[in-house]
Amino acid sequence: MSATTTAMVFGTEIHQPVQHGKPGGIMRRLNIVTGLIGGIGLAAVAGVVTNALVPSGASTATFAPVAPDLVYLAMLVGWTIGFSVGIGAFVGPIRWFLGRDLTHADAEYMAGKDLGWVRYFKFTTDHKVVGIQYLVVFAIILGFGGLLAMLIRTELGVTWAEVFSPGFYNSMIGTHGIAMIIAMIISVMGPIANFIMPIMIGARDMAFPRLNALSLWLVVVAAVMLISTLFQGGIQDGWSVYQPLASQAPPAMLGYQMTIIVFAISTGVASVNLIVTALTMRAKGMTWSRTPIFVYGVFGAALMGLYAFPFFQYSQIMALTDRIFDTSFFNPLQGGSVWLYENLFWLLGHPEVYVILIPSTAILLELMPVFLRKPLFSFNFAIAGIVGVVALSGLVWAHHMYMTGWAPAANYPFMLSTEMISIPVGFLVLVMIGTMWRGLVWTRLPVMAVYAVIFNKMIGGVTGIYLSDVPANQFFHGSMFVVAHFHYMLMGAGLFGAMAGLAFYFPKMTGRILDERTASIGFWTAFVGFQITFMAMFVAGLQGMPRRVLQFDSLFNAPNWISTIGAYIIGLGMLVFAGAVISSWISGDKAPANPFGSKSLEWQTPTPVPLENFAVLPVVTERPYNYGVADPYEKELAAIDGDLDVQKVGSQ
Amino acid sequence: MTTIDDRPVNPPDEPEPPTNRPPSMERVRMWLRRPYAKGIVILTIIIGLALLPLAWLILVPMNVTGAPASAIMQDIETTVFWFTIVSVPIVAFVYAVLVYSLIKWRGHSGDTIPEDESPAIRSNTIGVVLWTAFTSALAFFLVVWGLVALAQITQNAYGTISADQQPGDAQSVIVNVTAQQWVWTFQYPQHDNVTTDVLYLPKDRPIYFNVTSKDVIHNFWLVELGVKIDANPGAITQTGVTPNKLGTFNLRCAELCGMHHAYMETSVEVLEDRAFNSVMRELGGGRTS
Repeated sequence: MSATTTAMVFGTEIHQPVQHGKPGGIMRRLNIVTGLIGGIGLAAVAGVVTNALVPSGASTATFAPVAPDLVYLAMLVGWTIGFSVGIGAFVGPIRWFLGRDLTHADAEYMAGKDLGWVRYFKFTTDHKVVGIQYLVVFAIILGFGGLLAMLIRTELGVTWAEVFSPGFYNSMIGTHGIAMIIAMIISVMGPIANFIMPIMIGARDMAFPRLNALSLWLVVVAAVMLISTLFQGGIQDGWSVYQPLASQAPPAMLGYQMTIIVFAISTGVASVNLIVTALTMRAKGMTWSRTPIFVYGVFGAALMGLYAFPFFQYSQIMALTDRIFDTSFFNPLQGGSVWLYENLFWLLGHPEVYVILIPSTAILLELMPVFLRKPLFSFNFAIAGIVGVVALSGLVWAHHMYMTGWAPAANYPFMLSTEMISIPVGFLVLVMIGTMWRGLVWTRLPVMAVYAVIFNKMIGGVTGIYLSDVPANQFFHGSMFVVAHFHYMLMGAGLFGAMAGLAFYFPKMTGRILDERTASIGFWTAFVGFQITFMAMFVAGLQGMPRRVLQFDSLFNAPNWISTIGAYIIGLGMLVFAGAVISSWISGDKAPANPFGSKSLEWQTPTPVPLENFAVLPVVTERPYNYGVADPYEKELAAIDGDLDVQKVGSQ
Repeated sequence: MTTIDDRPVNPPDEPEPPTNRPPSMERVRMWLRRPYAKGIVILTIIIGLALLPLAWLILVPMNVTGAPASAIMQDIETTVFWFTIVSVPIVAFVYAVLVYSLIKWRGHSGDTIPEDESPAIRSNTIGVVLWTAFTSALAFFLVVWGLVALAQITQNAYGTISADQQPGDAQSVIVNVTAQQWVWTFQYPQHDNVTTDVLYLPKDRPIYFNVTSKDVIHNFWLVELGVKIDANPGAITQTGVTPNKLGTFNLRCAELCGMHHAYMETSVEVLEDRAFNSVMRELGGGRTS
């Protein structure tokens, strides 16, 4: 046993815990296969044991058999614990508990040093590996949700028959909803925030690398549970699973509840990690006025996620105890309140929209100066916009409940707060068009996507002001108009923004050049299909078509046919885009370190980015976005004004 | 070494040196003479005029099954109309910048990093103040309009009076609406508790709805009458309306309520007062109040 007691870390000698036994031990044998074995194994054991323990024929007060519920729940809990332990999520704490703390060599092993492609299938702590893993998980969930969207539109386009049974149709809309919400929440905050943000602020990794990996693998655990619901009767109650409808649901509802409980832990862990990283890990000299706007966006979104997701988690824990232990939080027959559930749900539901939109907008603000070769317009207003949205996001939730009869008098203040939020959102639009102002556009896919996003955001914003207004909402609530509106925001602005961010950081993340021609064809095809689909859906909503229906008045046939055609065009476009990404990733040209001539820190590292990012930590000496030349009109003005003191361009 | 007497003496007051700085209106005119400013102003006007008809076009699908049949629905349509009108200028301006940028500010294309840099505009006080003023004015208008219109429709829906305080005068009609999976039931307590599955309403009389549900949450939506309220289990929600048009209208469930939610709809018959009373008598309900 040759236990070294010190290790050299970046030229500093650091005291090491005493090594017991062989280096690493069992930790080095854990990967996704042991995770699957642990998860499936423990789920099977838990299922069999529970099945044996539940008396045969036991039923609830409403004569529903209890065995399927309890067995499924036991299997879900078994899967969560088994997979987490199997993949090695708790290696660090267990080693610490046993008094065998990780040595520097162990930590480097966990970060995937010299592991090659295997590190993508392990509990790897390197933030760049986690970013790539997030990207793949995001793509899989998005593809799953997109497939369901195609099936939903097929059902709605075939107006003369029921393609799917009503139960299966309802479970498709519920599963599509929650899958897409999860996918969109991790769309930017997962891949790009994890991969890019630490490099952008000049750090060697996230503040808590093991929590970072934990947040990723908990999303995987949740996604598997979500997909398993399709085999347990499906989530038939929409993504909002209002009580008491959800209490009638098949065991799949437990899958939904466990998915949310686990996903909320993942979001909380990730939010804390991102917040602490942004607060404490910035490079020397990176004061708040020198911090890139994307960091502000991630910080704001993480703050919102941190306070919003617990509400969702509580609501699902309470619903779960209602179902399993016969509590009555939400059961009106036993004195519960359905409005309690709605409040808890929407306390998450609205901030969550901004958790999706703010990082997606921030990534666009980050990339626009690079392609327009000029600084971000009014950095302070961009920050004010983000701060305003974060501050107001928690005060608007009950606008989803205008028509529930919960508190009619509360509609007045909630209308006020909801309409106020258009002001900070307007700041972000101002910053975008201000940055565009007189900038010569280098027409690459990421910046061209900005035009698409602003176009969609204006439509989503204006339809949003109808919905924020109680009288107009009295017509639009629960109609297809709402569906079209939030798709304009979450997909038209959120997803398209995330795609722009992905196209921008693709060379840094994968080390390959993206085939922009094919990707652009896919992007713009999807954009056109998107307009067709959701414009037609606005019309259906204006005509009075309720949402979440599978058959409807023949009055609504024409807009639904058009909408379905548009949806197939979106599907085609997305496949082309995905094809471009995958083929470029596999066989694209090797990317130079800084293909876009950006001045931010993340592009100054070599590609592929080495472990720990920087050999020597950088020192930041100037504001971000120092692009551009002196404004020629300023010279003209100066000539006229003569003695006026014209502010020097680029002055600090 | 300087003594106290060596301090610099304040120069005598002199008039400010004359400048050739043009007056502010002249500066605005100078700004407007810039080619991009002119182009964007013209584009804003063109796009704004092109978008303006949307205010009327939006109302077309809303009225596809018939014009508004109550004062509430008229208020809703007026709100939608004016909200569209006031949003047009800002949307038109933003779209004008996008279009102008795509046409006139198109720079370099291709893979090489462009060598031309754009003007380094870090901020512009006038632009920022104008934008903030305009969007805040818009938001202020929306809020004030919304609060007034909400008060108006709440009054037209007879507020949210609890069931036991509702007027028993001869003029008003009370309807107890019960939702259950996947049927609507209407009970008329003033007419010997007659129960129907089609909603019969008299024209020009105040109607009070007491809405509840037997199982899960449903939503009571009278499309052309502009009435919408959740039917909650374990609670009674109140709303009301005065229909001002005869005809057959739609009632749809607007909250996912289980497997056959899509089929949970029925019709609303708005009848003349005499016809309404005779329907009630035919169904076995004399007038009891």
